[in-house]
Amino acid sequence: MVQAPIKQDRIPYQDLSDSLIKALKELPELAPEAIVDGNFIATSFFEALGFSLHERIPQFKTGPGEQKVDYALRHNINEDIFLHTKANPYVLVELKARGTNLTPESPSYKSTVKQLKRSLLAPNCKTVQWGIITNSKHIQLFRKHGKVIHPATPCLEITPDNVGEITYRVRQKIEHTPKALTVAVYNNKGGVGKTTTVINLAAVLTRHKKKVLVVDFDPNQKDLTNSLGIKPGNQSLYDCLEDKKDIISLREVISPYTRKFHGGISLSFDVIPVDDKLAQAHEDNLRKDLSYYSFRKKLDSLKSDYDYILIDAPPNWRLFSISAVYASDVVLIPTKHNNIFSLQNAAVTIQKYIPEIQEIRQKNTQGIEWGATALPIFFNGERITDAAKNRVKDAIAAIITKANQTPKFDLKPYFKPVDKIFELPSNAHIANAAFEKIPAAYKYQIAYSYYTELAKEYFLQ
Amino acid sequence: MSNLSDVGNLMYLDLEIIEPGNITNNSEYLINATAKELSNTDGRNWIPLIVKEVAEYRYQIIGNSFIYAVAEAAGLEKVWCIIADDSEETAKVTKILAGEEIPKINLSTASRDEIKSALEYLIEQPDTVLKGVKIPVATNRIDEAPRRYWQDLKPITKLKCGITAGKKVKALEKVFYLTPESMPDDIKDPKFLNTLTTTELRKIAKKRNLSGYSKFSKSKLVNLLSQ
Repeated sequence: MVQAPIKQDRIPYQDLSDSLIKALKELPELAPEAIVDGNFIATSFFEALGFSLHERIPQFKTGPGEQKVDYALRHNINEDIFLHTKANPYVLVELKARGTNLTPESPSYKSTVKQLKRSLLAPNCKTVQWGIITNSKHIQLFRKHGKVIHPATPCLEITPDNVGEITYRVRQKIEHTPKALTVAVYNNKGGVGKTTTVINLAAVLTRHKKKVLVVDFDPNQKDLTNSLGIKPGNQSLYDCLEDKKDIISLREVISPYTRKFHGGISLSFDVIPVDDKLAQAHEDNLRKDLSYYSFRKKLDSLKSDYDYILIDAPPNWRLFSISAVYASDVVLIPTKHNNIFSLQNAAVTIQKYIPEIQEIRQKNTQGIEWGATALPIFFNGERITDAAKNRVKDAIAAIITKANQTPKFDLKPYFKPVDKIFELPSNAHIANAAFEKIPAAYKYQIAYSYYTELAKEYFLQ
Repeated sequence: MSNLSDVGNLMYLDLEIIEPGNITNNSEYLINATAKELSNTDGRNWIPLIVKEVAEYRYQIIGNSFIYAVAEAAGLEKVWCIIADDSEETAKVTKILAGEEIPKINLSTASRDEIKSALEYLIEQPDTVLKGVKIPVATNRIDEAPRRYWQDLKPITKLKCGITAGKKVKALEKVFYLTPESMPDDIKDPKFLNTLTTTELRKIAKKRNLSGYSKFSKSKLVNLLSQ
């Protein structure tokens, strides 16, 4: 079933590919941006991406004043011709001259990405789902989901040999935008409030009319399943994951959690609970039935059903947490400012574990998918005094300095200056809600407002 | 065992997601009779199939393909497999370890004993074409020949050891391969020169800037070049 549309596309792909190759070969080595645009992007590339002349707006105004992006794209919907209505852009494209260095980690690459991100978050671009940067030598696709922007592909080098293939695969991605953002909530260190974060974030997102699925992927603790009092679904998660022939859908494992409020309103989100079989199996035994990608393969079919999929991953870098991060787009890392280990473990996750996942994801997708990206850390649920703030400032500075030594890794995007790291204040209601089998954010206004802040900091635009 | 790879793991996989690859021919009798034996037990293949992962949930057999054939005949839905890495070398050595392929030795550098045991192996085969070849004679002559320069096994047919051109020398390809050194131009050993063709000898003469050899017979050329 999956293969059919690819086959249909094969023939136009070849034609488009020929025109792309020709245009690319004839491009002067030091072509300025206008030539890259006129001779390659506007003439061949957009055509190959499937956007006709009426579906592109050059120098699109992203916000008030003079803020502009090189191109905005969107397919026409019946009478709604994008060139005329200029409304609801879908893709933004930031072009550079062929001579601009877009190799990853170069200063001009970083500034180009920054420029694209600014455009993506600009007021006129709320409907945008994708961003592209290219100078005709490199290309990178970014996904925008609410406030989250993460790389969808690595920064790919374009050559006449691969330009057809790359363009085709970028087009495939743009044409099959997954509805959901998949978030693994993970810290290698336990006791940082992962489960509480998942439950309350889910609750808050549903109050913002988002469709949410939460996955209890910590079978040893089963905290999420227990703290919401969830009963198992029709099928067990174990049986579903073990099935490699795609007979058992993950949908059959889902169990809804609903909370009725006074006045007849009810809110709900879906839960994939842990079953006993999964909880009791020893990891060595699990490995005979499950691979690190088993969960992702099952979860992929649900990514068009939800706005957010939140995975409660266990501490320690083992099969379950690896599977959770492999399945996700972004990783949210709660830490405790008064627990130096939670900060150090966050650093290890960002500079070691997540790059491992990216490497394997790229290998498994012939280099086209970037893999999971870490979000900046946040402080979870402890009151922070000025003295503590200074201590944590020093601790973070030390962690960043250490990461900057060989092999060099820049942790700064993930560890903001201490004053700017998001803090989720502590609250007795949040801690106690677990006993009541209700997310605190559904029951207490204060918890709701705290977690709304968190949702707005990271996810909601 | 890395968590990000199943290589080295014993996994219980559906037969359906395993591609047979190049299956070695096994007799129907052996397959069906073994399947029956297996069905009489709890159906567990204690000797695993050896597979490599070609994509997520897609595997290909690289060794013990007999087990696959038996599992199929026994109607098993799942088989126990060991996941091997996907390198060519692993596939090759696995087939050899499983007894599905015959290992080859490098005749350019092999020791006398290695040559002897390889020849013995070939002659012991029930369908051998090398009947009548005297092992001690053949071993000695091959061992002493300048085999490190051989481009192929043809020179063996000139050693007068009973291994003649055609299927006999062809049989030797089952156990021998060569990594020939390039021949030095100043080689003078008549024994070696004799194994070369007249054309090859003329080429050497030309490289040495000799003259007047164009109408020489082979033995005269050898004489000339061995001085």
